[in-house]
Amino acid sequence: MDAILEARGLTKRFHGLVAVNGVSFQLRRGEILGLIGPNGAGKTTLVNMVSGTLAPTAGDLLFEGRSVRGVPAYRRAHLGIGRTFQVMKPFPGMSVLENVAVGALFGANGGERNLERARAWARACLESVGLGKRIAQRADALGGPDRKRLELARALAMKPRLLLLDEVMAGLNHVEIEEVIEDIRRVRAQGISILVIEHVMKAIKSLSDRVFVLHHGEKIVEGGTAEVLSDPRVVEAYLGRQRR
Amino acid sequence: MRAGNPARSAARWIALAAVVALLAALPWCGNAVLVQFGISALLLATLAQGWNIIGGYAGYPSFGNSVFYGLGAYGVAIAMAQYQLPFWVGMLLALGLGVAFAGLLGLAVLRLRGHYFAICTLGLALVMTAIVSNLPLAGGNIGLVLPLLGNAALFYELALGLLVLATLTVFWLARSRFGLGLIAIRENEEGAAVMGVNTTLYKVLAFMLSAAFTALAGGIYAYYITYIDPAGVFDLALNVKMIIMAVFGGPGSVLGPVLGAFILSVISEILATKVTSVASMFFGIVIVVAVVFMPRGISHLVAHVRQAGWRYFVDNVRAHRL
Ligand SMILES: Nc1ncnc2c1ncn2[C@@H]1O[C@H](COP(=O)(O)OP(=O)(O)O)[C@@H](O)[C@H]1O
Ligand SMILES: [Mg+2]
Repeated sequence: MDAILEARGLTKRFHGLVAVNGVSFQLRRGEILGLIGPNGAGKTTLVNMVSGTLAPTAGDLLFEGRSVRGVPAYRRAHLGIGRTFQVMKPFPGMSVLENVAVGALFGANGGERNLERARAWARACLESVGLGKRIAQRADALGGPDRKRLELARALAMKPRLLLLDEVMAGLNHVEIEEVIEDIRRVRAQGISILVIEHVMKAIKSLSDRVFVLHHGEKIVEGGTAEVLSDPRVVEAYLGRQRR
Repeated sequence: MRAGNPARSAARWIALAAVVALLAALPWCGNAVLVQFGISALLLATLAQGWNIIGGYAGYPSFGNSVFYGLGAYGVAIAMAQYQLPFWVGMLLALGLGVAFAGLLGLAVLRLRGHYFAICTLGLALVMTAIVSNLPLAGGNIGLVLPLLGNAALFYELALGLLVLATLTVFWLARSRFGLGLIAIRENEEGAAVMGVNTTLYKVLAFMLSAAFTALAGGIYAYYITYIDPAGVFDLALNVKMIIMAVFGGPGSVLGPVLGAFILSVISEILATKVTSVASMFFGIVIVVAVVFMPRGISHLVAHVRQAGWRYFVDNVRAHRL
């Protein structure tokens, strides 16, 4: 199996702080790779470097075998990298449908140029995440869980080949989490490779093929989901602290 | 992105066409003062509409638009006064100067956001005035005298034509992929980039489009007024006026800036003739009241006041107080 995404020694320094420190990993085509780690571990920073909103201080990043260093965020979107934001970034003054239509109009391969077709596809994406009844509302009128769904629909509308999900389940209740897990399963079934960042262990367990763990910006463990989650270092760094 | 009722939209188009036809017939009423006022109001509406593209749609509050206006005025003036070229060649030069300058300026300053962008364009406006004041080709700080045409009706129709063109362009913009990209940039630039919008290109193109209409308005003004000097056409107060009119009418809407320009032109004209000394103070009060009670402009007011009633104003005061 070849890698759709490969990081080689990816590093990000903010002044004195090393947020991500020499992280290397591979995300295989078609797999769901889980990324866990305590708050401040550097997960979002890593996603920012992959999606192109932050430039790494050092290291290289290969998407489908080619280096994307220096490639701006919008070009990475055209290449097929889609993401959601932990701190959501909807277009507040636009309708829910328009929010998603932007992804359809500008996403992978530069997007769909025809407005009608883009809107139809956006509507399909909204229906797939259960927002079909909200398309005419303004995005800033949505409640928290619906905003998370909107964030997911916007990324899906781009027809990405790689999807980066940064805590899409934070703040959702059990029923909603189950729904989103189902949504993500369906996305993977379309052949989209996924990086899932999640604190919800149930989601990581049921979705991930493999998991890697960041702690203080460094990758401390990587491997099969069950084996990583029972690793003493992970329990120490992350799970143990949460249980108390 | 709105579907709309076809019958209503047809009625709307007919009404708008009738308004344009009425406006076009106005010079035949034979009132010279009215035509003069009309030229000024139409040019201001075009400027507000031009500002609307970069300020209202892309969300970048430009103070550089008075530079595009000045460059347009000088394009026509230099072509006609220095080289005895016809007006239309001058207009091409105006267009070229304004658009080229917007492209260069845009690449330099459109990476700044919010206040930084505003202040930077403001500084550049001051620099341009100084530069043009020292150019012999532009007549230095004495200015340039253009040939006198003396046909006010023609200038009126030209200004109306340009306004209609600018408004049709914004109408297209509001429904196009390009326009949606600009709105996305305004609403959240990082989100837009990650979703595939080439933000730099789109912002620069919006700036150039904005400059095109602004420079052409400056060109018409120069030939109409027959004498221009740097202080007169590189006027920051004019830029402030465009912003006030666009924001008063409703930035990011198709007709709002035009309505805003017309209404404020009429108010300021009445105040100027009736109560000269306090006129500008009243003008200021109108603006403050408007911003407090209807911060999203006339177009938003018209669309929402009917369902919300007086609560519309109360809610605005609540939502936007500091
Ligand atoms: N733009 C930034 N400037 C400075 N420090 C930052 C910035 N973004 C993140 N950090 C810091 O980098 C570290 C990692 O943050 P982040 O990647 O958000 O962690 P996580 O997503 O794993 O919770 C934190 O200490 C955070 O304060
Ligand atoms: Mg995070």
